[in-house]
Amino acid sequence: MTRVVVIGAGPAGLVAAIRLAEGGARVALLNKGTGGLQLGQGTLDILGYGPDRVERPLDALAGFAEAHPGHPYGVLPADLVARSANYLRDLVGPALLVGDAASNLQLPTAVGAVRPTALASPSMTAGACVDGARFVIVGLRQLKDFYPELVVGNLVRTDLPGGGRLQARAAMLDLPAREGEIDSTGLTYARALDDPAYRKRFAQAVKAVVEPGETVGLPAVLGLDDHNAWSEVAEAIGAPVFEIPLPPPSVPGMRLNRALTARAKAAGVRVVPGSKVTGFRASGGAVDSVQLATAGGDRDFVADAFVLATGGFESGALTADSYHNVHESVFDLPLRRPEGHLVHGDYWGDPQPLFTIGVEVDEQMLVRHPGGDPVYTNLYAAGGILAGATRWQEKSGEGIAVASAVRAADSILAAAATATDQGAAS
Amino acid sequence: MKTLSADVVVVGGGSTGAGVVRDVAMRGYSAILVDRADLGQGTTGRYHGLLHSGGRYVVSDPHSATECAEENAIIARIQAHAVERTGGYFVATHVDDPSWGDEWAKGATDTKVPFEEVSVTEVLKAEPRVNPKISRAFKVEDGSVDGWQMVWSAANSAKLYGAQILTYHRVTNIERDGDRVAQVICTDEKTGEEVRINTNFVLNCAAAWGGQIAHMAGCPDVQVVPGAGIMIAMNHRLTNSVVNRLTYPADGDILVPVHTVCIIGTTDQKADDPDRLEIAWDEVQQMMDCGELLVPGFRKARAIHAWAGARPLVKDSRVGSGDTRHMSRGMSIIDHSERDGLKGLLTIAGGKLTTYRLMAENVVNAMCEQLGESRPCRTADEQVPGSEDKKNYVITHRLEEREHDRFDDQILCECELMSKGMFTRALVDQPKGNFDDLRRQLRLGMGPCQGGFCSMRATGVALQSEHIDVERATGLMRLFLKNRWIGIWPILYGDQVRQTALDNWIFQGTLDVERLPGPTHEEVV
Amino acid sequence: MNASHGLEFAQTEVARASLDHCVKCTICETHCPVSAVTPKFTGPKFVGPQAERFRHGESVDHSLDYCSSCGACTLACPQGVKIAEINGQARAVMKADHMPLRDQLISQTTLMGMAMTPVAPVANAALSLKPLRTVIEKVMGIHRDAPMPKANTQTITGWLKKRQNPATKATRGTLVFFHGCAGGYFEVETSKKSIEVLEHLGYEVLVPKQGCCGLAQQSNGLFDGATDKVLKLCDDLRSAGRDLTIISSSGSCTGMLKHEAHEIMGVDDSRLKDVGTRIRDIMEFLLELYEAGELPTDFKPIELTAVYHAPCQLKSQGMGQPAMEILKLIPGVEAVESGATCCGIAGTYGLKKEKYEIAQAVGKPLFDKVKEVNPEYAMCDTETCRWQIRKGSGAQVEHPIFLVHQAYGLR
Repeated sequence: MTRVVVIGAGPAGLVAAIRLAEGGARVALLNKGTGGLQLGQGTLDILGYGPDRVERPLDALAGFAEAHPGHPYGVLPADLVARSANYLRDLVGPALLVGDAASNLQLPTAVGAVRPTALASPSMTAGACVDGARFVIVGLRQLKDFYPELVVGNLVRTDLPGGGRLQARAAMLDLPAREGEIDSTGLTYARALDDPAYRKRFAQAVKAVVEPGETVGLPAVLGLDDHNAWSEVAEAIGAPVFEIPLPPPSVPGMRLNRALTARAKAAGVRVVPGSKVTGFRASGGAVDSVQLATAGGDRDFVADAFVLATGGFESGALTADSYHNVHESVFDLPLRRPEGHLVHGDYWGDPQPLFTIGVEVDEQMLVRHPGGDPVYTNLYAAGGILAGATRWQEKSGEGIAVASAVRAADSILAAAATATDQGAAS
Repeated sequence: MKTLSADVVVVGGGSTGAGVVRDVAMRGYSAILVDRADLGQGTTGRYHGLLHSGGRYVVSDPHSATECAEENAIIARIQAHAVERTGGYFVATHVDDPSWGDEWAKGATDTKVPFEEVSVTEVLKAEPRVNPKISRAFKVEDGSVDGWQMVWSAANSAKLYGAQILTYHRVTNIERDGDRVAQVICTDEKTGEEVRINTNFVLNCAAAWGGQIAHMAGCPDVQVVPGAGIMIAMNHRLTNSVVNRLTYPADGDILVPVHTVCIIGTTDQKADDPDRLEIAWDEVQQMMDCGELLVPGFRKARAIHAWAGARPLVKDSRVGSGDTRHMSRGMSIIDHSERDGLKGLLTIAGGKLTTYRLMAENVVNAMCEQLGESRPCRTADEQVPGSEDKKNYVITHRLEEREHDRFDDQILCECELMSKGMFTRALVDQPKGNFDDLRRQLRLGMGPCQGGFCSMRATGVALQSEHIDVERATGLMRLFLKNRWIGIWPILYGDQVRQTALDNWIFQGTLDVERLPGPTHEEVV
Repeated sequence: MNASHGLEFAQTEVARASLDHCVKCTICETHCPVSAVTPKFTGPKFVGPQAERFRHGESVDHSLDYCSSCGACTLACPQGVKIAEINGQARAVMKADHMPLRDQLISQTTLMGMAMTPVAPVANAALSLKPLRTVIEKVMGIHRDAPMPKANTQTITGWLKKRQNPATKATRGTLVFFHGCAGGYFEVETSKKSIEVLEHLGYEVLVPKQGCCGLAQQSNGLFDGATDKVLKLCDDLRSAGRDLTIISSSGSCTGMLKHEAHEIMGVDDSRLKDVGTRIRDIMEFLLELYEAGELPTDFKPIELTAVYHAPCQLKSQGMGQPAMEILKLIPGVEAVESGATCCGIAGTYGLKKEKYEIAQAVGKPLFDKVKEVNPEYAMCDTETCRWQIRKGSGAQVEHPIFLVHQAYGLR
């Protein structure tokens, strides 16, 4: 049985680990802490802007990759991206992700922008921003990360991507998640809404402010463990309901993270959280093992292949020191780095060069020297560590993550199968 | 058009102007202060926050040293809330000559700056992060001061004595009546309205912008040269006392704990325009090297924000009026009746934040003299509003308050523990303020996340107030993000890169703030 | 090191430096089992990296004492902020002036064990009497319903003296066994079975006379006493041999030796470092053998489905859940991961009268899971957690080594 170590538990690491384990590999998933899924918006982006708003992301990929040399989508063809998005959708099931990868939804954000994304939670899709829609956006006085007036004010003055305008109005409820608490996070509300009794009270309070014909927009807090909470709320209100993602903690992101982590464990992945990979051993052009700095000292994890899915600068997978030396923190891999100064002073200007730094991979997702050969024969990379994308602007994060993870996992499984065949033949 | 009148118009809402308007008001004059922007928005708010013990000048400028020592005690008493009595050390690092300490100690004795030589062990016990290779140390009475609080409390004191404070009033001209000043003409930047103020006397406290003001009154060639210096705020207090290098004053020789951060400063570069100060990469590197000397590992510590301030240095050959009673080293008073034959205009520049009250006293004395009146200065005798209890600021202050209101109020800015209540109260006081104006009083967005979590909350709460519509609220948010970035990008390395990436994920990734409907150009006022 | 080093360290150093890594992402908050059940605790991000920037020597935010020290925040933090450690240090500083008598008493783990053993039946009876517990609650602040250990009539040293030689010959070298206070006085069976499994595998097992690791004192902010204890223990364990692997069946005490004494109290001592890197949790040790292909897997089937709960202080060692991997190897055993962050007891936290209700609420999802999966039986690696789960669910709760012992056919 081929042994694989996956480093990092964001969308790329989790998907790679699951696919590898389901493909018969023995997988250890090493993660310093909780992955980035629960910090994101809880949807699957493929391509939202290129830089103009994208309606059909799969169709746009080839042109986008051509216009952006060195972008990860240059080595991730559209059919792979589509398969991978559907793979993730099937892993978490229709309770958490729905939609068609070929076509973007246009959903409202918590400041009232209209944001493109490919797959979303079914609890969000009623928020599609189309001409003539009638929304009531409902906030909670005890929740400081959601202001319905802001959502409404910006939505109603937006010319919608498909043309036309929508109507919206704001309403505010005074409904604590817990007795005596004035400063609750979205997660506290989500936990409260897992309780059917609270859910009923909540729905009654919302219902009181809804007028006939309106679709109800709520902060994305409608249950954490109970994935049907939102639809029960909708049923009790008697109107369509949609969730609007909040800044962290993101409840939709947590749902995805929990579902994927559980799926990984069920598939037999050994998950080892809380320690950092601080070193590695290599010989003959291949990585032999990585060292995990556990509380009691370094522990060696030997494997046949390694997937680096540690993320970008946000997780510390890439670091820039005070001299602007930039390093990849586990293997100190060669990085692709633009010429010149890495940061500029125009907040609303071009993408910052710093954030396009990353590792370069070949079509198998083997890490390679920029423009050259693989660094090691068995070191693959996936997700935010890949050079060339400004994911938050492009709205391309999950698409790149899952496609590169699926490709890395499939490459490893194929290499193992070949090795087994050769072993059997000899 | 609106016409006002006052005995005295004070131009400039920095520390000098605020000190001056308080002083004239307390002496019984009617007074109006005008500033083109908010109070403390210029040099006052762009420095490192040191309340000098005087130790820095005992050799280079003994007169200033004594003034600082005296004013330090006065400010800590009358503006107690703005001042933290941190104490300070002068330390000889391993590249400094410890014997210079003898000269320093003699200077301190001569200038009456209180000090005590202490052992290296004692310094390291009190400040464990200080470089253990230091060879000699002196303890002094340095403190730190919140410049904004200092200015606002002085202005509030002036208001109690009848003064008017007109922020966002840009002076466009100063009219003369023969050899006398007659009228100050301003534009209300928020409404576009012209405001004319009839007056007998103008006190030009515009510091680095003072030359421009004097020119409007027909007094050319007052050269106030902006001496630019950069400062960098580190994420938390690496030391709880001020740490100075025991050397002749030089670049990067001080680390000052102010509120939750500590600030390293500073450099000195001649600038052409005080409104365009750059934070050069090599200056940042220079500060980092200086930081390493004082606190090993400084480069690995987290820098969260950088800024540049312009010292107003007067270069004018005609200053030497011979009347040195009103002059002290470091502060210059230009009497335009002598220089240019124009009565009713004094320009003051130079000096230090620590001696701002004394500068005000001196310039108002000069005014009284020109007017032939004798009204004594009382500013050293009375606490400003809010400091009546004479309690100095302590770092634990907000944390302790939060312990008591945590079931009653939300925290919008978690890094600096700014509550919704604090923010909405400030909005009532300054309904036309932008988020940076409120930030200077509340520390909104000044912690490690630099607005990453609080900007949207501030926008939402502002929108719930009566005066702000969604276009303005959205514009304020965009402006705030843009302005924060001005101080982030020059020091974007280490942990702040992680933060910036997460902030980008939130604002651009999740919220898609770039794609909000216009105005695409942020409102400036 | 002088006696007050730990406190001085807490006031000035260490974990504080890690606060620079905090990006306020809220991940720690989402993992905190205490703030999940009560708004009284402001949560790990607030109390840790956030409040620390406002601290100088004294701790003014007394609500930080609602932190149970479970360490889930540090474990979850992707940025490497030592959140729980910052909190632990702030608490020690806060309590330095007014340490409640109760916190001193319940952290004297060995003393309690020694006092109770000879009179075990009396002690057990007394601790089950409501009126007496009410008095204890009033005087000492220990909640009347808080879980209490059952005292044993025999200590581990008593058993070691009386027992016969092991059946298997020692062919694989020598190990040192660390049983912890609970494993010495209350949970003696766990120690016995661990020793027997190791001997069955062919190891000679040395059990030196040993004291307490000081964890309970540490988590109550009593750094000086805890430091003395942990170093004394290191001497005890080192006395058995300088290069031998040390095996422990007490999950939380292992964590104290591996990292907490150093990271929370600043104990910087070569003896601690030596012991901390040689010690292995027993399930971790078995998994290492398995990974190296050296663990016999001739396990007899056991038909059992039960919840396995990994204690916080085991999880915070950053090695995953080795017991889950070992239990997978026993035919018929289906170990269901509890999914709970913490059982609520967090050492001595759940004993205190003002924390008892919170601790029960923290543990409730775990108790419910046990009741749902197998109300008779559950597994957990740490003593105090087992008492809490027993009390909360009514199930018999044992160390997973019991199943390994049984599956190897040992009696």
